[in-house]
Amino acid sequence: MENVVEEEKFPGHPLLPYLLILPSVAVIVVFLVFPFLQSVQESFFATTAFGTKSVFVGLRNYERLFTSPDFRASAVATLLFAAFVMVVGLSVSLAVAHLLNQKLRGQGFYQIALIWTYALSPAVAGAIWALMFAPATGFVPYVVAKLSGGYLMNWMTNGSLALLVVSAAATWKMLGYNIVFFLAGLQNIPEEFVDAARVDGAGPWRTFWDITFPMLSPTTTFLLFVNMIYAFFQVFGLIDIMTQGGPGDATNILIYKLYRDAFLYLDTGAASAESCVVFVVISVAAIIQLRFATRKAIYAR
Amino acid sequence: MKVRQWLLTVLALTLGACLAAPSALAAGKVQITWWHAMSGSRLKVVNKIVSDFNASHPGIELTALYTGTYAETLTKYVAAYRSKTAPNLMQSYEVGTQQMLSSGAIIPVYKIPGMVDETWDWAQYVIPITNYYSTAGNLWSMPFNSSTAMLYYNKDLFAKAGLNPERPPMTWAEVESYGKKLLASGAVKHVMSFGWPGWMLEQQFAIHNQLFANNENGRKGMATRVLFNGKFGVKVLDTWRKLAKENIFLYGGAEYSANAAFQSGQIAMLLQSTSSLSGIEKGSSFRVGTGFLPRLEGYPRGNSVIGGASLWVTKGQSKEQLRAVWAFLKYLAQPKLAVEWHKGTGYFPAVNAAVQELLGEGWFSKDQNYLTAFLQVLSGRRDTAAATGVRMGPFVQIRQLERTAIEKATSGQVSSKAALDEAARKADQLLADFAQMNK
Repeated sequence: MENVVEEEKFPGHPLLPYLLILPSVAVIVVFLVFPFLQSVQESFFATTAFGTKSVFVGLRNYERLFTSPDFRASAVATLLFAAFVMVVGLSVSLAVAHLLNQKLRGQGFYQIALIWTYALSPAVAGAIWALMFAPATGFVPYVVAKLSGGYLMNWMTNGSLALLVVSAAATWKMLGYNIVFFLAGLQNIPEEFVDAARVDGAGPWRTFWDITFPMLSPTTTFLLFVNMIYAFFQVFGLIDIMTQGGPGDATNILIYKLYRDAFLYLDTGAASAESCVVFVVISVAAIIQLRFATRKAIYAR
Repeated sequence: MKVRQWLLTVLALTLGACLAAPSALAAGKVQITWWHAMSGSRLKVVNKIVSDFNASHPGIELTALYTGTYAETLTKYVAAYRSKTAPNLMQSYEVGTQQMLSSGAIIPVYKIPGMVDETWDWAQYVIPITNYYSTAGNLWSMPFNSSTAMLYYNKDLFAKAGLNPERPPMTWAEVESYGKKLLASGAVKHVMSFGWPGWMLEQQFAIHNQLFANNENGRKGMATRVLFNGKFGVKVLDTWRKLAKENIFLYGGAEYSANAAFQSGQIAMLLQSTSSLSGIEKGSSFRVGTGFLPRLEGYPRGNSVIGGASLWVTKGQSKEQLRAVWAFLKYLAQPKLAVEWHKGTGYFPAVNAAVQELLGEGWFSKDQNYLTAFLQVLSGRRDTAAATGVRMGPFVQIRQLERTAIEKATSGQVSSKAALDEAARKADQLLADFAQMNK
């Protein structure tokens, strides 16, 4: 019996660690890696809806994807959507978090009021926005019509407007989450730095850009990444409730197009090809972002 | 402590009883499952039918499962079929018909009586409905919930604008002249909207006896080319486009989203499924009138198309199960039940005897609007493929393309011809792919 264990050595059988991580690896392999490989494979086939016949078509699914104006339009809509969610969403939430970080009366109330949107399910958020903007009965078109002297704001026929409304809804939905993280980041910044800058004669604007913003960069990087994933993958429910990809495919962003092709149109080949393309794009974006950001981020201690 | 132990014991016993009860009850029964897409108030009617059926058929245990929307139900069915766990019976929407026909996964219902050593009188079903689901004169799926489209209008707004509230517009020209009067009276800012825009385009083809796709609307052979971008389609879309420009037509979105504008009195007319009738009557504070779908002058008469869904029987069941499924399908054809189904949901009863019974009890004189729905589909011609409705493999996608074309044209982005041509080009590609894969 060996009772004395060296510090570096793992106590127990050398294979035990592998055994211990096996369950999580198994989950990842079964639910992520295996389906992924399967969809890579299926992207080279054309398959009937019921899977009764499957024909190898080589790169045809990809070829069609890249030559299809629908896919291009969908990619552009996705990029616009993601850019809006990331840029507007993060700017607004940083501004709000900064305000919330001031010492003011009723701070707790404001914090909760601004954070609770994150607790809503996409379906509820979508329903709220859809009702608010309903062309004939909604509150917003009514106000717009009153103020503008009769302009009919119909996002069910106006594609750009629909994309804007959906983007705004998605941003609003994520606002609470972003604010919480920014707030935490702001509260971690030692007050001495801010005070020191102030003593040196920096105004609030200068202090923010030279002290606060750089020191927040780990949080910002993290949020950029999370918001990108959110904008690409997690807005399905919102789109489905609000526009179902319409009008005229204006809000048919990639994740929704993928759903339609796979589950509505039962075209596994096209949907698999799309998911592979989205996977590659997201991976590249994530790698660039993390590389770039970890190099530039200043981690406060 | 003691109380808690008692509680736990009781809980465990109840749980055990709950788990044991169904299997004990079901011992020796033929188990069959049915996947359907009926939600809301329709789900209640379905559940009542199922429990009544089980009560009156002691040898059968039918389990009905709501499996989401039509599209979700079909997706799940496909997945289940591929893993050999498909239900015995499933409900598929009308646009999935060709997909189901080509699937190789189902038994056509006309063959079932022979397979269980029985005979059945197929003439008892309402013809326009069975025509829709028949191939070469044989019924492939059992009609279940069928509807068509009609015009709804607000009688109070009509009266306000000086129009006769008992006379709905019959033609698109009348829709325009009524619309101008309604706008001029200041009663509304917009006059008309549609539910299910793609379906409304298909309806226009059918009621004017125009083919929507080649090969006799995909009924003689598989459709390989759509015809909706021809002269007639352009004419229809131009009409709608003009109405949109005159502020008469207001695009209202997919499915049922236009109903809210109608029910709140923002618009005076609505083209919508007949299955919305009871909902609209209950949810509106004004007098609701109904009429036939508006027509274009100078075109032949066809018939309005059936929508809704039908029931498909899965291949590869045991004879006992098939017998049980057949018992249920026969059960649904009872006039009493079909009447109950109609009154509970607004869908058409699928058997003639039920229509007789409704007529006999004066159901229609109580509410004329229900009669409009029936006449809309029963008064047209039944002998042409154009009037029966189109059948296409990738129908779900193509209907989406139609909707996109309507959205683009009525919002004035592109001309009607350009919008329809683009949709037709994509639709033809889809049809070619489908034909190639399902040779």
